[in-house]
Amino acid sequence: MPGNETKPSSETPTHIALPAPTMWPMVTAFGITLLVTGLVTNLAVSVVGLVVALVGAVGWWRDVLPADRHEHVPVVPPSERAQPVQVAAGRVEHLKLGQAGHRVRVPAEIHPYSSGLKAGIAGGAVMAVLALGYGLIRHGSLWYPINLLSAAAVPTLATATTEQLRAFSSTGLAVGIFAHGVVSLLVGFVYAVMVPMFPRRGWLWAGIVLPLFWTGLFYGTSKFINPALAGRVDWPWFVVCQIAFGMVTGYVVARSERIETRQTWPLAARIGIESQEERE
Amino acid sequence: MPASSLNPAVPIPQAAAAERPSIPSILHEWVTTTDHKRLGLMYIMAGLLFFVISGCMAALIRVQLAFPNNDFLPPQMFNRMFTMHGTAMVFLVGMPIIAGLMNYLVPLMIGARDMAFPRLNAFGFWIFLFGGGLLYFSYLAAPGLSGAGSAPDVGWFAYSPLTGKAFSRGHSTDYWILSIMISGIGSIASAINVIVTVITMRCRGMTLMKMPMFVWIVLVVAYLIVIVLPPLTAAQIMLLLDRFLGAKFFDTQAGGSAVLWQHFFWIFGHPEVYVLILPGFAVATEIIPVFSRKPIFGYAVMVGASVMIGFISLGVWAHHMFTIGMSAMSNTFFATSTMLVGIPTGIKLFNWLGTMWGGKIRFKTPMLFCVAFLFQFLCAGLTGIMLAVAPFDWQLSDSYFVVAHFHYVLIGGLLFTIFGAIYYWFPKATGKLLSEKLGKWHFWVFLIGFNLTFGPLHIAGILGMPRRIYTYDVGRGWDVWNLLASIGVIFQAVGILFFVGNILWSLWKGKKAGDDPWDAWTLEWSTTSPPPPYNFEVLPEVRSRRPLWDLKHPTDPDWKYE
Repeated sequence: MPGNETKPSSETPTHIALPAPTMWPMVTAFGITLLVTGLVTNLAVSVVGLVVALVGAVGWWRDVLPADRHEHVPVVPPSERAQPVQVAAGRVEHLKLGQAGHRVRVPAEIHPYSSGLKAGIAGGAVMAVLALGYGLIRHGSLWYPINLLSAAAVPTLATATTEQLRAFSSTGLAVGIFAHGVVSLLVGFVYAVMVPMFPRRGWLWAGIVLPLFWTGLFYGTSKFINPALAGRVDWPWFVVCQIAFGMVTGYVVARSERIETRQTWPLAARIGIESQEERE
Repeated sequence: MPASSLNPAVPIPQAAAAERPSIPSILHEWVTTTDHKRLGLMYIMAGLLFFVISGCMAALIRVQLAFPNNDFLPPQMFNRMFTMHGTAMVFLVGMPIIAGLMNYLVPLMIGARDMAFPRLNAFGFWIFLFGGGLLYFSYLAAPGLSGAGSAPDVGWFAYSPLTGKAFSRGHSTDYWILSIMISGIGSIASAINVIVTVITMRCRGMTLMKMPMFVWIVLVVAYLIVIVLPPLTAAQIMLLLDRFLGAKFFDTQAGGSAVLWQHFFWIFGHPEVYVLILPGFAVATEIIPVFSRKPIFGYAVMVGASVMIGFISLGVWAHHMFTIGMSAMSNTFFATSTMLVGIPTGIKLFNWLGTMWGGKIRFKTPMLFCVAFLFQFLCAGLTGIMLAVAPFDWQLSDSYFVVAHFHYVLIGGLLFTIFGAIYYWFPKATGKLLSEKLGKWHFWVFLIGFNLTFGPLHIAGILGMPRRIYTYDVGRGWDVWNLLASIGVIFQAVGILFFVGNILWSLWKGKKAGDDPWDAWTLEWSTTSPPPPYNFEVLPEVRSRRPLWDLKHPTDPDWKYE
């Protein structure tokens, strides 16, 4: 179609053929209703319903065979027709991605997910060192923080005394390494996804704000998740460990080389129906 | 197809056409019409009539429950009230109003003259109406002709074995079965018509991905109806066989299974919730962009989300049955699938917000209803996710928490968008604008009333109040919440009075709407208000999803970007 209009496919006719009004669908429906109503009233009602439904069906049949009955409806005069669509006075200014004033922040480039993996390992290692240091300095035991972390999943540790927590536990060690490792990796992935989206001062968000959010969340829920830890946690140390984790993880992610995303591509290109090169 | 055949023709007498028509001739025209617009309006008017009747029943239920140990209604009548209220609201209010909107709007939006099967369309309407009449006829006929029972009193999902002959004497349950069954024929007829119309009758240039979102969503709804109604009909036929011929499908004492009925019913029943709410989404997806002055955000993703909702909704039914004692695997599957529905639904919510974000929003009445819908449906969705957690559901199943949840879906979601739709398309259908002032009164009073009624019922449910109880003792902590809920009904009733008054006033004295009062973009606004019987003098041709935008902005048409 040339131009940009919703244009007529032909000249305006004087009459338009539409299906003729008919009572037979209503009669048929009424007959069917009577037919089933007879089940709960009287057989005679069903018999009448059957007759009415058959009459309706035959009438309907004759409406459409051998050809549809229709009526020629006169087209209303031009003065009563829809007014032509008026061209709008204003113009639309399209904002471009990255243009000043554009509020949309699409991560056109992201850090690879592998950076999240590395960052999670690095952040987790630093956090573990600090936590173990806390155990040694405050409780004279490397195992204390590990056992405390494992208490969420190991019932014997959840009810253990402080002395028992200071002692080595193979189950505590296995569970602690697993839990700390998995959570560190997952949070590392979250950092890899989120860091490009921070508007500015990424170090502040990654290193301080997110660890504080996490600490707040843990503070609110720890008595349900890990009552043993909640009762014994040293919050200043906990915050220091979290911030150290956040800073190291954010730093490792931020140092990784960014890769281009397809966020700015049209959907058709993204799902492979057409190539981006063709559009360009 | 409406305009495809030329013989034989029925000429219209010119002299008769010029005369002022008499009331019988007007009635005759409406009764024999096959025009999709008239049938659409008849569906909506019938739905609103049933809405008023069922709403009055709800009000009586709330009066009964306003105070502890109340005996405003007899217990038997109370059971009939909640059964008729629930049944009518789903089958005789929600479904027909949706069918009416689909009928009225789909041909106009896709640039067609009528539905694919106009006579089937008329048949669908009439059989729905007679089915509805049959349901209410039970009040008169069940005791009058059969000597037992009255209106159905087995709840809207009619669980077995309560529906067995031993527990449900007389014919009231039979009326429930038969009326729903034949109304279902009308729904199937409408759905088939919508599918064929959308697939085969779109105007030139309107590819599937250029259809208005409304049309896309009702297409999904139509497919859902065709898929999920037959299981209900099958179960109803089995129940009829149980009741009339002594079959034992659901007779637990003779080797039948009451749980089988639950499976059959909810295979229909849960997708039915989406059949009801998806058209609400469709309405919001039309109204929000127009009143935000922006195209819909993420059209393709919205289409995908609609299809996904339809698909996933077919696999969630047993979350209504967590309390029957299913296997851990079944519980896990249905909990997971139920939560999965939250993903496409969440996508939609974000896309509506994305559409509004940065838009030049006009808070006219249709938009107000849609904004309220966003908040209320979010609440409904969140409580739905809570109920999808099987252990949580074990505590609150069949409590007023569930009642509050699904009323937030069906009133906070569906009814609010239906009101929005009526305010939005009333000018197209009648040529008159509804009063904004009365509309805003309607909105705010109804909003307060709705939330006052159903917000507190969440708490009553958490405090252990079971649904469907006739009354309750003092001192269980439920008193204040029930009183608040009943006070809310007064506000809702006043809101509805504003609505009815607005319609009557606007029909009588309303401002003329013109062809396109909202500066909208879809094809229905390119014809007159009300449209002529043939919709368009010449069938349109489109190049984008917003054909009227293209015409209004020839230097910056949408088709450059789609």
